[in-house]
Amino acid sequence: MSIVQTAADGTTRAFRIGQTERQDSLRARNARFTEGELLKVRVRRSTDRSAGATYQDFDVPYRKWMRVLDALNWIAENAASDLAYRWFCGSKMCGTCALRMNGREVLACWEAVEPVMVIEPLRNLPVVRDLVVDRAPYERKVAQLEPWLERATPYPQFPEPLTHASMKSASKALDCIGCMCCYSACPVIGLGDLTDFAGPAPLVQLGQTALDPRNGREKVARSLAQTGIFNCVSCYKCEEVCPAGIPIVSMVIEPLKAKAAALVPHMAKHALALRAVVAARGRVDPGALVLRVQGLRALAQLPRIVRLWLRGKVKPLRTLLGTKTTAAGAARRLLTRGDAP
Amino acid sequence: MKFAYYPGCSARSTCAELNEATHLVAARLGLSLVALESATCTGARELRAIDPVGFYALNVRILALAEREGLPLMTICNTCTLNLLDAHAAFVSDNKLADIVNVRLADEGLHYSGRTKISHFLWVLHEDIGEARLRAMVVQPLTGLTVAAFYGCHITRPPGRYGFVDSRNNAALERLAEIFGCQPIDYSGRTECCGFHTAAHDERVAIKLTGQHLRSAKANGAKTVVTPCPLCHTVLDGFQREIEKDMGESLDMPVLHLPQLVGLALGLTPAELRMDSHMVPAGLLASAATGGIA
Repeated sequence: MSIVQTAADGTTRAFRIGQTERQDSLRARNARFTEGELLKVRVRRSTDRSAGATYQDFDVPYRKWMRVLDALNWIAENAASDLAYRWFCGSKMCGTCALRMNGREVLACWEAVEPVMVIEPLRNLPVVRDLVVDRAPYERKVAQLEPWLERATPYPQFPEPLTHASMKSASKALDCIGCMCCYSACPVIGLGDLTDFAGPAPLVQLGQTALDPRNGREKVARSLAQTGIFNCVSCYKCEEVCPAGIPIVSMVIEPLKAKAAALVPHMAKHALALRAVVAARGRVDPGALVLRVQGLRALAQLPRIVRLWLRGKVKPLRTLLGTKTTAAGAARRLLTRGDAP
Repeated sequence: MKFAYYPGCSARSTCAELNEATHLVAARLGLSLVALESATCTGARELRAIDPVGFYALNVRILALAEREGLPLMTICNTCTLNLLDAHAAFVSDNKLADIVNVRLADEGLHYSGRTKISHFLWVLHEDIGEARLRAMVVQPLTGLTVAAFYGCHITRPPGRYGFVDSRNNAALERLAEIFGCQPIDYSGRTECCGFHTAAHDERVAIKLTGQHLRSAKANGAKTVVTPCPLCHTVLDGFQREIEKDMGESLDMPVLHLPQLVGLALGLTPAELRMDSHMVPAGLLASAATGGIA
């Protein structure tokens, strides 16, 4: 995947997509500044939960290896002693300094400054003041999911047999520093109470124990039933901002979905229906999928179905007759073997 | 240039116009497409979660079909692209999985050895055809057409697959739009999610999310949205009536498949590109470009 860029002088340069950003390291960003140069920093400020927010501008003199946190410290020491922000370790361990810089979730202690910065608190959590958010909604959700081990059988003896393979996903989840970057980036959480989706951060906390092979099936099923996990849209926004580099979708949410499909199958209706439709027809027939997932509820969409049909976008007859595609034989062979779940 | 061609399920059902437009545009671009007649669905994201081995088997079989033809594989759907890339990566890094999958494929005399190159049509335009040749092929510059690029998720994330630290820095669609004489606009939805993947059980998420994106595109002056993914198109275009109802405002935003935008610039007509088959009619769009296509 590469793109060719033409410079003003007519010369061309080929970039691999994403490569441009690897030149955006801390060192590269620092190389663009001179000592004492003024950074334009705009900070979102609000005095309490109910008051509206204002943006306050600061000129912060650049110092070598300056991070977002250093800029905030400078503001607090020199320009706004009442600026509220959180930090503790300053080294990507405690997860308390997460905020949004130019529309992206970052750890203030781990992000190099940019010449122009808009700094805002995390989204999807109530703001206490300025850049400080209230973590209570997240903590309540985590407690509700009971993220602990509950063995179905008594503790055998030390050492317990555990393999790297069986702990692979759980150990990735254990890298979480609880910074809430993912929770702020999640578009489904951004929709509030529209769904019962627990959100990426609580699911990572749950994954630490629910993906542990020692945990009892009933306990895991009880927790999963409260996650609304199939409302995850697989957009990977959480993975993109995770400072701990946890593959949240592929190593935590998807293994949890697999557990939910096995232990609480009614939650996985959509996924199981898709599998059945593909196994029967070879390719997805959208009408058949929606009918299988929604049942009679699908009839509420009749006006839309008619509109789609008039444009030739759905083929109700094909759906109702269960017409197979040229891929049906292969899909059936591959998906219905004895070694499949 | 010859490619094994994998359109995916959507371009064979709800977005059949995408398949037709791709064939026409490929012919103009000098791309020869070889159909893989028995190719199955790649399993969306749902199958990957609940039946990983079945998921890998479906995808690796498609890669094996292309390998048997000795051709690179071209896709036109974001999610299919990511599924195939994921399956290829898992296959070459996990010998045990590779053996299990090849045993399943052996039933029909197929075998995959990990050699198929996977490329989305968007990358083929940049990599295999290239900016200079593409520029020379433009016969109908779409001057004045303001375009909002909607990437969708699976062609720009996860970061580990595509290398973007910040997926907002993807500019592949905007660069194409400029080559065709359009004016790309900036708006908040560029690399956001359309919500398609949960729409079969609950459309509300897709309607709410995509409503935000379309509203932003319109507010920033877009006359059309262009997307490289038929799943995104299904929400952006197919759900637009429901989105308007939910927001209580009119959008009337035509949404083009990427090959349709390319086709217009290469001199194909909106009718040939089946732009009239969208839920929000896009047939008159070309005349919005002051370049003036009748």
